Amino acid sequence: MRRRLLAVLLGGALLPVGLTGCGIPAESDVLVDGRGPAAEAGASNGSGSQPPTRTASTDPKEFVRNYLEAAAGERDQAYNRAWGFIAPEAKGRLQEKQSEIALTVVRLRESPEVKRNNDGTSVVTLNVQQVGVLKPDGTLTAPVAAPEPRYQFALRPANTGDPGLLITDLPNVLLLSDEALQRYYVERTIYFWNSDQNRLVPDQRYQPSTMPAERRVTEVVKWLAGEPSDWLRPGVIRLPSGTAPINNATGSDGRWEINLTMPGANAARLARLATQLAWSLPELTGQLDLKIQNQSRRTIDLERERLDNPLYPSSGSPQQYCVYDGAIHPLSFPGEPSGPVPIVAAANKGIVSAALSRSQNDILAALVVTRSDRRQRLMAGSGRDQVPVLNGSSRWYASVGRPTWLRSADQQHQYGLVVADGQLYRFDDLAGMVPVPLAVEGPVTAVAAALDGHRIALIVDGLLYVAAVSLDGGVVTIGSPRRVVTPLTDLTAVDWYAENQLVFAGSEDRRPVIFQINVDGARDIPLEREIGSPVTHLSAYPAGAVGGVPTGLYMYEANRVAFRNKDIIKRDQVLDVTPPPAGTRPSNPTVPFFLY
Amino acid sequence: MVTSPPPASPTTASRRLQAARALWHALAAGSAQLVADLHQTWRRSLQVRVVTITLVASSLLVGGFAYLIADKITSILLENAETDVLMRLRNGSDYAGKQFRTFSQPQEAQLQDTIDGTVSYLAGGDPAQTSGVVVAITADRHAGVINTRTSPVTDIQPLVSPALRAAVADGKVAHQIRTGELAGQRTKYLVYGSPVPTRFGQVELYYLVPLARQDATAADARATVVATGVALVLLLGLLAALVTRLVVTPVRVAARTAQRLSAGLLDQRMVVNGEDDLALLAASFNQMASNLQRQILRLEEMSRLQRRFTSDVSHELRTPLTTVRMAADLIFSERDEFDPAVARSAELLQAELDRFEELLTDLLEISRFDAGFAMLDSEPTDLVPVVHRVADRLTGLAERVGVAIELDVPATAVIAEVDPRRVERVLRNLVGNAVEHGEGRPVLITLGMDQNAVAITVRDHGVGLKPGEEKLVFNRFWRADPSRARQTGGTGLGLSISLEDARLHGGWLEAWGAPGQGAQFRLTLPARAGDRLTTSPLRLVPVDVTLPFGGPRDGGPLAIGPGSAGALAIGPADGDRAEVTS
Repeated sequence: MRRRLLAVLLGGALLPVGLTGCGIPAESDVLVDGRGPAAEAGASNGSGSQPPTRTASTDPKEFVRNYLEAAAGERDQAYNRAWGFIAPEAKGRLQEKQSEIALTVVRLRESPEVKRNNDGTSVVTLNVQQVGVLKPDGTLTAPVAAPEPRYQFALRPANTGDPGLLITDLPNVLLLSDEALQRYYVERTIYFWNSDQNRLVPDQRYQPSTMPAERRVTEVVKWLAGEPSDWLRPGVIRLPSGTAPINNATGSDGRWEINLTMPGANAARLARLATQLAWSLPELTGQLDLKIQNQSRRTIDLERERLDNPLYPSSGSPQQYCVYDGAIHPLSFPGEPSGPVPIVAAANKGIVSAALSRSQNDILAALVVTRSDRRQRLMAGSGRDQVPVLNGSSRWYASVGRPTWLRSADQQHQYGLVVADGQLYRFDDLAGMVPVPLAVEGPVTAVAAALDGHRIALIVDGLLYVAAVSLDGGVVTIGSPRRVVTPLTDLTAVDWYAENQLVFAGSEDRRPVIFQINVDGARDIPLEREIGSPVTHLSAYPAGAVGGVPTGLYMYEANRVAFRNKDIIKRDQVLDVTPPPAGTRPSNPTVPFFLY
Repeated sequence: MVTSPPPASPTTASRRLQAARALWHALAAGSAQLVADLHQTWRRSLQVRVVTITLVASSLLVGGFAYLIADKITSILLENAETDVLMRLRNGSDYAGKQFRTFSQPQEAQLQDTIDGTVSYLAGGDPAQTSGVVVAITADRHAGVINTRTSPVTDIQPLVSPALRAAVADGKVAHQIRTGELAGQRTKYLVYGSPVPTRFGQVELYYLVPLARQDATAADARATVVATGVALVLLLGLLAALVTRLVVTPVRVAARTAQRLSAGLLDQRMVVNGEDDLALLAASFNQMASNLQRQILRLEEMSRLQRRFTSDVSHELRTPLTTVRMAADLIFSERDEFDPAVARSAELLQAELDRFEELLTDLLEISRFDAGFAMLDSEPTDLVPVVHRVADRLTGLAERVGVAIELDVPATAVIAEVDPRRVERVLRNLVGNAVEHGEGRPVLITLGMDQNAVAITVRDHGVGLKPGEEKLVFNRFWRADPSRARQTGGTGLGLSISLEDARLHGGWLEAWGAPGQGAQFRLTLPARAGDRLTTSPLRLVPVDVTLPFGGPRDGGPLAIGPGSAGALAIGPADGDRAEVTS
């Protein structure tokens, strides 16, 4: 009986105890589910080398040059690398900016001056030209300070047992030489859409060459999600505000993943973004998976995307013309195509200079003609294969510069820019000229439009500028021009030599020269130093439209002689020329230009 | 119960102790009572037993199943959660691995940003939308260089045990359930950890998934299972109670009916409902009762007829006997004139007629008893003269056989409410028997009395009785030795009639005897008519006999009565056993 009672009680007690006992335990042992993932072979580091350290040189001149390279590379360590050159007591003289780390890029105008003291210290003076400020987003903005300052560096030997030198006094600005910019950075071109979203506008950026390939992709995506360069802003539109990459872009086996947040992402926007990415990441091949908020929204084949959406309309090889005896004549060079003059013969007279441009199937022509009193005016027209009618501008000017067509994707509204009497005008194919206001004072002497039609190069008051052009709503507005710091003075002519390259003529130590320069002025290459007289006309063909150094096609006129690259354009290279009557001095071909 | 507090230490503690003791005692007493009650209920009620056993058995069974089911549900929930988290963890680890692949130095500043971004991405971006899942990346090998990042921001240190940390640091994917507080609420967490290989070494990715939902679901399931189980058990108990009731009720009715039948209510019957087994039982029971009733009635009738026959025969014999008697008396009175042989025959005739008459008288008496016509004519009687009278009357016979009759009678009167005629008849019978079987040794008649009863013993020292004969002596026509000559001419009915007389008084007539030690008969009668006897003032077994088993206990009377298997049982007399039941 008692045992039974006990069993009843036990059963009654066990039931709830058993049931509560089988819940999720509050604590459990560590259970191993297996080995974790093994390390994969990761992407290698960027191939670029590291800037020299403090001990690389004991020569004050070299030492300071090295210091100017020290800040190059990954930005977050820039101050640390620079401080490595500075004596402990002087570290306060180079104070870290709290906001963003910007490097002031300088171009040495001459070799550093060294003044050695007896106590082993020395003072190095640098005569530099500020090229710009390298921002964290890789843009090189126009310099803010006086463009040509002098910097002084005081050096002392390092402590005993340490062979190097140390800086004891220096300007409180993080400097970077233009050589270091070229050596430790990679130029990259990213593309923003113009406001009509039918043309990609290049934007030049710099990326540390030590950056691994995958990070470069991430960086480019960040740039695209951010702001375009300051000067380009009026001509392009950015991605919807709030667009930002989610973590790093990842890629393996020819498949890349880019994850973004993008408000209002729709198919059209994603398609445009894909094109933008395909062109901004030219080194990538294979598939690109575009994810919005972790959702795969668009997958493109990068190469196919680039093939399907070319940056610029292809126009075949350029045809070259010149003005000979006031008329346009084709130039003929062996192995290169030449075509007929695409304007009616009746209009082909009294021409001072000309600009021809292909717009899909049409040819646009802008001619500067002169009349007997030497006053000049612009005539413009368009037509298929041959321009039948040319309209003249209503006014005559004392001088009209070489016109340039803005290569707009919009065929209905074709505009060009021209300088007349030191003033910039926009014209259309009816030669209606409207003055275009500029934010820079001074007489304009030359204007040249880039292939994309949204960037122009200007020479104002002998200085080189680039500016963005907005064709929004058929109104041509020029954005605030950005100064391009060049080593030359008294600039006379400019044209686009490549996507991000300008070719321009000016004076170097009062000698006329032709230089090639980056659109932001960071890198200049002398093209022609043996000219002798100022260049009055310069025309170039941006052969390598997608970056790279062009094979170099530029033609210029100096001292009324036309040159193609370095060679004089001879008369027999001008086609359709009636031989001059005997005895008369044959005229020279002038103002050579390209039709493309 | 309550002991008075010791005066030396009237402290609170001792008072408390006493109170506790008192409470304990009360509880113990109460529980003992309860246990006793339960025990009694358990023994008496089949229904309680069946229901209890059903409840216990079904509780164990249902409990076992409930445990299995609840356990299964819990483990399934947990397994699902684990699979889910493990998948997320593997994906997360892959993702993090890809994200960190570009870094070769833990010092790179972008790395910390990437870790932040990765954690935030893996946690699903918006901390408010992550349903409590905490994602953390730690770098134990680069402590100080890489900071631990969690999303949402919280301190996971207490939840990630050193053992788990060690397992993950060892390059293993491992998990553990921990309870802790992250979002201000104590919750169980499933903590999963996986190493994330990078080019600068290993970092660790942890997922902390709250198990609150699983816990609640498991609790829900458990509650449901418990509720179902309890309901099931109760239902089974109820069912058992119902079924038992269905079976037990007719059995109880049958028991009651059987009790009534046995109490003599032979016409009691069970109600037959339906055609089931219980109905069959009731029908069989009823049939049995009918058969029994019929049999009993038949036997009663037969018995009645037999008694009637005896009575009738006795009566019918008396008339011719009277005639024969008269003729025999005449012949007897004239016997001197006959030749001696005929005279002898006349004497024999006379003697046998006397015996025959006696026999008839006794038979009539017996049949009166049998017919229940015997009437007690009680009156307060002094028994001393009765004893003396009987002794005197039998002195002649005693002297003839050489037996002395000794009397042990109180000097005072012994008054009892009895029928003196019947008492005298009994005594006469007993003393006659004693003298007859006395073997020439004296016969002792003792009279005794107490508050409630009077008793007379008659002791002889003859051959005595063999074991078992104490009962047989009261049988009709029983003879200890049938071959022995009948000197007193007894009818063989004397003791039977005496027994009936004693019973009529509500008294006892008992016999004791042992071979070679003689015999003793005791008549015990209530002092007042109608009183119930409990004890006798005199001993049944004489004090002078040698008993087997070393004799009786000191100071206690012995009782002789029927033992098992017909043997004579001698033992200490007690109230219940001091009655002749035959």
